[in-house]
Amino acid sequence: MSPARTPSWEEGREAGLPYRVTGEGQPVLFLHGAGGVRLTAGLDELAQRFRVYLPTLPGYDGTPTMPGVTSMQELAHLVHGFAKTAIGPTYDVIGFSFGGWLASWLAVLHPESVQQLALVAPAGFRPEGQGGLNFPHEELQRRLFAHPERATGDDKPPEMVVRNREMAIYYHGRVDSDAELIDRLGEIQCLTLIVQGTRDGVIPAESGRLLRRRIRSSYLAYLFDAAHMIDSDQPARLAGLLEEFFTRGEAFIINWSDSAA
Amino acid sequence: MPWTYFEAGTEDWPIANASFDAVKATDLYRTYVDEMAFAEECGFDWIGCNEHHFSPYGLMANCNLIGSALVQKTSRVKLAMLGNLIPLLNPIRVAEEYAMLDVMSGGRLVAGLMRGIAHEYAAYNIPPDSSWDRLKEAYELIVKAWTEPVPFRWEGEHYQFRSVSIWPRPHQQPHPTILMSGGSVPSAKFAAENRTMMGIVQLDSLTTARQNVDLYRQTARDNGWEPGPDCVLVGLHTCIAETDEEAQRLLGEGEAYFYGTLSGGPRTAQRIILQKSRYYADSGSSEDRAARRARVKTMSIQERIEAGTVLCGSPKTVVQQIKRTIEAVGNGVFNLNFKIGRIPDDAVYRGMKLFRDQVLPEVRDL
Repeated sequence: MSPARTPSWEEGREAGLPYRVTGEGQPVLFLHGAGGVRLTAGLDELAQRFRVYLPTLPGYDGTPTMPGVTSMQELAHLVHGFAKTAIGPTYDVIGFSFGGWLASWLAVLHPESVQQLALVAPAGFRPEGQGGLNFPHEELQRRLFAHPERATGDDKPPEMVVRNREMAIYYHGRVDSDAELIDRLGEIQCLTLIVQGTRDGVIPAESGRLLRRRIRSSYLAYLFDAAHMIDSDQPARLAGLLEEFFTRGEAFIINWSDSAA
Repeated sequence: MPWTYFEAGTEDWPIANASFDAVKATDLYRTYVDEMAFAEECGFDWIGCNEHHFSPYGLMANCNLIGSALVQKTSRVKLAMLGNLIPLLNPIRVAEEYAMLDVMSGGRLVAGLMRGIAHEYAAYNIPPDSSWDRLKEAYELIVKAWTEPVPFRWEGEHYQFRSVSIWPRPHQQPHPTILMSGGSVPSAKFAAENRTMMGIVQLDSLTTARQNVDLYRQTARDNGWEPGPDCVLVGLHTCIAETDEEAQRLLGEGEAYFYGTLSGGPRTAQRIILQKSRYYADSGSSEDRAARRARVKTMSIQERIEAGTVLCGSPKTVVQQIKRTIEAVGNGVFNLNFKIGRIPDDAVYRGMKLFRDQVLPEVRDL
């Protein structure tokens, strides 16, 4: 399969958040991970299928923090304000890693707006002592990438990388597992897809299982031959999976390959 | 073979298996195989087993494995696999395993070649829209694999094999007795066109069953053959006890567990597939069909007895119900399903003995 063409991103600002947007079709809000915005091959693939809204969260990628936004819940309210203005009263959400954690809070706090939710290798639900980012560089790279040669969008200056890392801690402290959110996962009513890479060394499989058990209408999907950076390791496979989920809804469980529809 | 240890039902599909207990399941399998083998002592002509996937209401993911156990425990009865869900499986593997069972049992296999119910397609990731086309092609390929004496290549729409020559070939010649579903108009026609037995294993009503049987017979005549009563099977939930009241109580509790607790998850997948796919496109409105099925499941035991969709009562009552079914549908074969939901095993054994001693002598020669 040939890679998707690189989309051209428009830039804008809504509800105090700088954002990028590209693509045609059904709108989807994409919440980035703790590394900040990464314009990966996975996003290119998504942009072939969706109109992707990609806000930069406060404090990331050289942007300032915002007064009164210092927790995951406050960040979720801020993002909801953005999505309501940029997309509309209801919207679909993809959250990657730290963004998956945030997207879960968004679905808990604004259930009337989040229509469908995809949590890609979501952080925030790690059993103590499993996974995480605190590994020597080479070890961490193995845990992040099944195919480091496919990695794109990681050309940030070292000081920005460090600052981005600090921002995650700024919002949630040094918590591996968000007990308050876990207690409230049962409030998520929307259809939810949880995606885990089979070789993810950062987010353990147990996180996905926990979410699958707690979120009533949820599916757990394993992506073969992908580590944590699923959108770099398996961009087309991830985008295809998300496309099926967002367009088919609960009928996503059916194999449609022989269908005209 | 149902999982009997749930306290509450769920509408989730697939049903999470975290509560599965392998030690309990070992006992369940042992008990169930023993019960089925006991049917031979009770004078039954067949023992039937079915196949379902991701389903605590039927722990037989491959009925051929149970068939293989029954080969060792029986010597006379036919072993009816009802059956392999051929659009989901590798047809060559089906032909091979059935041939093995037929040879191992000395020609006692009845080979059910079934389409399966909708949720199985989600389980095995097979597009439901193409289930009919797959069934037709798989059927022909299986028969060809059984009967073709020289290696052959198969170039089909859904299946391609570069060279086929199965070992063993079946014991029965030219091939084992085949049973296919007759539960819908196209399936009844297909069975007749291919000169197989037809089976209605889940009865909506005696009237619709009769319509399908009439269509089967007419189509058979149009194709130059006359099916006898032994070509038509009707499957029914069955409970025989000393009194009508006791049988109704047992079956009522068994069906409440079966439909209420075990079937919620599969119903969810079924609903999605019926709404979103063309699974029943060839057999009338899927809404009609789903509504009909839903109606049957909300009926009380008394209503179901009245409608003729179960056999339930004292031996004397069941004899009358069997006669009524034969008169209404014209079938010569019954598949009596005694283990419904959580009906206790001692009640199942008692029912089978009552059948042997008091029912069979009255209906054997009908």
